[in-house]
Amino acid sequence: MAGVELSHVGKVYHDGTRAVSDLNLHISDGEFLVLVGPSGCGKTTALRMIAGLEEISEGTITIGDRVVNHVPSRDRDVAMVFQSYALYPHLTIRDNIGFGLQLRKMDKKEIQRRVQEAAHILGLSDHLDRKPRNLSGGQRQRVAMGRAIVREPQVFLMDEPLSNLDAKLRVQMRAEVARLQRDLGTTTIYVTHDQTEAMTLGDRVAVMKQGVLQQVAEPQTLYDHPNNIFVAGFIGSPAMNLVMGTFGAIDAEPDTDRVPLRLGSHELLVPRKVFEERPALARYENRPVVVGIRPEDLSDATLVEPGPGEVFRASADLVEAMGSDVVVHLQGDADHVDTDDTRELARDSGRELDVDHEKTIVVARFSPRTTAAEGQTLEVRVDTERLQFFDPETGLAVWDDTENHVGGT
Amino acid sequence: MAVDATGTATGGGAAAAVPPPGTGGRRRQVPWLGLLFLAPALILLGALVLYPIVFSIVRSLFDAGGETFVGLGNYGRMFTDHDTLIALRNNVIWVVVAPTIATALGLIFAVLTERIRWATAFKALIFMPMAVSFLATGVIFRLVYDQDPAKGVANAVVVSVHDLFNKSSEYPGAFPRDKKALPAHDGGYETAKPVAAGTPAMLPLVGFPPAQLPDSATQAKAAEPSSGLSGTVWLDFKPGGGGTSGVIDPGEKGMPGVVVQAVRDGSVVATATTADDGTFHFDSLSGGAYTLLLPQSNFAEPFNGVLWLGPTLVTPAIIASYIWIYAGFAMVLIAAGLASIPRDTLEAARVDGATEWQVFRRVTMPLLSPVLVVVFVTLVINVLKIFDLVYIMAPGSVQAEANVLALQMWLVSFGGGNDFGFGSAIGVFLFLLVIPAMAFNIRRFVGER
Repeated sequence: MAGVELSHVGKVYHDGTRAVSDLNLHISDGEFLVLVGPSGCGKTTALRMIAGLEEISEGTITIGDRVVNHVPSRDRDVAMVFQSYALYPHLTIRDNIGFGLQLRKMDKKEIQRRVQEAAHILGLSDHLDRKPRNLSGGQRQRVAMGRAIVREPQVFLMDEPLSNLDAKLRVQMRAEVARLQRDLGTTTIYVTHDQTEAMTLGDRVAVMKQGVLQQVAEPQTLYDHPNNIFVAGFIGSPAMNLVMGTFGAIDAEPDTDRVPLRLGSHELLVPRKVFEERPALARYENRPVVVGIRPEDLSDATLVEPGPGEVFRASADLVEAMGSDVVVHLQGDADHVDTDDTRELARDSGRELDVDHEKTIVVARFSPRTTAAEGQTLEVRVDTERLQFFDPETGLAVWDDTENHVGGT
Repeated sequence: MAVDATGTATGGGAAAAVPPPGTGGRRRQVPWLGLLFLAPALILLGALVLYPIVFSIVRSLFDAGGETFVGLGNYGRMFTDHDTLIALRNNVIWVVVAPTIATALGLIFAVLTERIRWATAFKALIFMPMAVSFLATGVIFRLVYDQDPAKGVANAVVVSVHDLFNKSSEYPGAFPRDKKALPAHDGGYETAKPVAAGTPAMLPLVGFPPAQLPDSATQAKAAEPSSGLSGTVWLDFKPGGGGTSGVIDPGEKGMPGVVVQAVRDGSVVATATTADDGTFHFDSLSGGAYTLLLPQSNFAEPFNGVLWLGPTLVTPAIIASYIWIYAGFAMVLIAAGLASIPRDTLEAARVDGATEWQVFRRVTMPLLSPVLVVVFVTLVINVLKIFDLVYIMAPGSVQAEANVLALQMWLVSFGGGNDFGFGSAIGVFLFLLVIPAMAFNIRRFVGER
């Protein structure tokens, strides 16, 4: 097993299209790193460069302590699980799993033993003599995993391995992948566009957008301290609400210890504590700022005791009862945030054609005890301490001036 | 197919287990309705396909005139008649060689063109002969295989390559003035009487155009008498007439570069080459009892290339022209098969540790084999009925050697044989040969559906 190091890696195709720029990543031995991003963000290209299926245009990739830029795929000692599984249709499951070992001229008995063991781990023992076309999607996926683990490679590379499975099976296989990786302890790089997979599987998660790395961090850090609007909007489901807001004068109401923040026709009061955490926020006095509100930081004001300046009124456009919670789409009048990041996010979620600038929909996640119904005007309480702030020009999170996560490792 | 369809249609009506009284009863009353709709197809198929087949089978059991029933006599004749046996043998060669090579070449082209940028242009070029008829191909390849290197490109290539490594002789066709004094020996010429040192030998040759003598050739002269063995080789022909044969006349030139060997007791003891004036000297040889030999290498006819359309090479030559047409066909089908192999699977094999050759052998080939089999079988069917190429390309003198069954069928029935019984028998035999291949392909297509 070994770590993987990507240093200033870039990919430019023959036609001049740039897929990846200046990618720096360090994946430690035994780590599970998830590369996540919308389609076309270069995450699969990055993985294929590590696998040796794509030429590296710029920078170096190191596996263990060997620079592999010019090492052919077969000699890199990595195993890859493909989205399509890419099983060999003419071979039995046994030969599919043992293919890599046969190529290495390993002893037949040893191959047999390893294949049996892998099949046992994956629950495929009864299917070893069947052909892939006779297996279900989940079983094929397991064969693809088996083919990877039987080789005991230095690194596992997984390219959206679960995206062809139906939702229920995907959750189950996700747990299996996590357990398998934990038991084997093999360094794993996992590509997905599903942020739930990224959050649940990864020791660390790397978010990419248009070939550029946005942030690498542990899942919770990514969630709580997103570097920029893109990461904030991409991580989390339902996604973070992003609206334009304007701060009032910081010292307007010194006795209340709070700073007014206008969101459309509503006004909230933000505790001064937030300004202590984010010193740079003081520069946005009387200036517009992008405000991020997580859906779970909104709650039905009738069920809690709201403090001063925490409540606004809005009508419920749509109420979705999920059982464990109730997702309420609220109609607000704050301005849209229109930056590259939000456009990219909209494209990813298929809302590109949403040009309705009159309404701003704010999604809230209420406790199931709420009595909110569609069409009602609700009192909504905002956890103003947990608001996120971003610069409308650069899209970067507003902390203090020195802190800058972008491109960090 | 048609028989099948009628079977289901009528059978379906009759066998409907417990038909509801209304519809079922009515359907049973008019079973001919189904037949009515099928009639056009049945009549056409019957008249155009079934009747000729049956007629041919029946006809094959009668003699040439069609009056006497001979049973399987015509079939027996097929395996005893010399010409037909050769046709059968050639057909076997065709079926084994042509589809194999065409498929193999198609595979090589398809695999190699997969990775190059101008693949489409290359494929179009290779596929183009498919647009040429067999007749035109035959005409083209008769020219390609022409015996004269000046016309046939095949021999032009062969002759240039041959001459590159093997210089042709200096004086092809030249022969002695006096065949008694200088009789033929092993393709060359050897003096009949021994020559002795001190007396220059005179070796006059004729039968070579003076204009083709090397530019360096000068007036021939007798060798200076000396202690060694010597003599002159010259072209004993005076341009403009006159002169005495066997004597060096003014205007007669020496023949430079002729190899002369001195032979004693049957073995060559020394070799010399004539000078520009035709003289040669063996200064180290003295005494007598030598004979002089002008070896064959001086006079060998120039290499004229291979007799492509001769009795030995005619079948391979025609097969090569067939491959010229059908390699493109094979390539296009195989390339389509290659394109349908998922890239992921090949990449998975590469990551699994396979070299490019292993990927080809262990993944590409097995996944491609159904296509290869279809191409091969299609070509086998095509080759079994090969006729026009052989008919056009094989010159009349070697037609018997190049014969194939389809051509033989035509020859014995229409091409002079006038024996329609025997011709039908060959036709039926060909039909039987094609059936397994057809059945295989049809089953394959049905299976794919």
